[in-house]
Amino acid sequence: MTEERFQEFLRGAAQDYHRPPETPREEMWQAIQAERRERVEELERQAWRWPHRVARSPWVRWGVGIAAALVVGVAIGRFSERGQPVETAAAPSGRAAVEAGAARGAELAAPYRWVATEHLGRVETFLTGFRVDARQGQPVSDPTGSARQLLSSTRLLLDSPASDDPRLRNLLEDIELVLAQIAQFRGESDGEELDLIDDSIEQRSVLLRLQSVVSAQAARAGSQGVL
Amino acid sequence: MDDTQLVARVRAGDTRAERALYDQHVDRVYRLAYRMTGDDELAREFTQDTFVRVFDRLHQFRGEAALGTWVRSIATTVVLNGLRKVKRFRQREVALEAAGSVGSSPVRAEPDLKEKLRSAVDALPTKYRMVFVMHDVEGYTHEEISQQLGMQLGTSKAQLSRARAKLRESLAEFAGEWAS
Repeated sequence: MTEERFQEFLRGAAQDYHRPPETPREEMWQAIQAERRERVEELERQAWRWPHRVARSPWVRWGVGIAAALVVGVAIGRFSERGQPVETAAAPSGRAAVEAGAARGAELAAPYRWVATEHLGRVETFLTGFRVDARQGQPVSDPTGSARQLLSSTRLLLDSPASDDPRLRNLLEDIELVLAQIAQFRGESDGEELDLIDDSIEQRSVLLRLQSVVSAQAARAGSQGVL
Repeated sequence: MDDTQLVARVRAGDTRAERALYDQHVDRVYRLAYRMTGDDELAREFTQDTFVRVFDRLHQFRGEAALGTWVRSIATTVVLNGLRKVKRFRQREVALEAAGSVGSSPVRAEPDLKEKLRSAVDALPTKYRMVFVMHDVEGYTHEEISQQLGMQLGTSKAQLSRARAKLRESLAEFAGEWAS
């Protein structure tokens, strides 16, 4: 009984809690329209500036750099293959042939491996930053643009001899999937898309594998003097 | 004109339909924003932000819930997120004020019931306060609250019950008001 009385009392007394004045409809409508116009104009401005902005973006420059490095890598590979003496009569056979092929393969893959390590480092930085910002509820600056650029470079690497290594290929494929999700991210505040992206990163242990590959490659390159 | 027709006309770029949608829902959005903030400027800001998002995302409205429910679920998200930012800002302000007024001890008058109730409701955790304001002050049902806040019906009921219990505790000195 007392509980019911209390609830009744509370409902009555609480009507005065922050009692709203009359809704300022017209003023708010004008403000909403002005905000929407401003957004449209800003989008138009961004569309106009897009080619310049993209050209200045560090991710684009890296994408172009990686593409260029891959082209140079392919050229070096083809040139060195052409430069090899043709040994039809005394071609090595058996284990010797395999070792020779592997050695040449390793030599050919070096530029690709260097490019891949650089690229994976960039992806690791991007994904770590994206995750931290997203978890803190901060808008990530142009995540879709950066993801698209990294996605293009990832696909270039997938089509290159760098992906002959099954472990690396596997990682690149998982990265491709995560980057594709981020490239389509609409920046909504409800967090559903963010959760999906987070799940993809988590389930595939992408960051962990990236860190492991990048540090292993860096150590190897350090001992070989490549980087 | 029903929700589906109204939404179709807004999507087709009919500005009169946009205004009709706004007129239909603005009161409840503004009232809720004001009740939660107690500040006209913030209530306006949150209401405007809500409708900018509504028009921006209307293509995502699939008609699974009523348009009003969908609009108000955006409003509650905007208000809760906005309050979080305001709280952070005010905490910084209070810290600065406290640092600047060391040694002074303002004398406060004994608050009356209305003032005490306002302070007690203000002191509730934001989600409890939202549920309490929606249910006991603005008259929303638990079904509406659970849909708009994206929670289970039972959670809405439990949070209201906890909010009332906290208020009862805070208002114990006024027990005579409802016991008599």
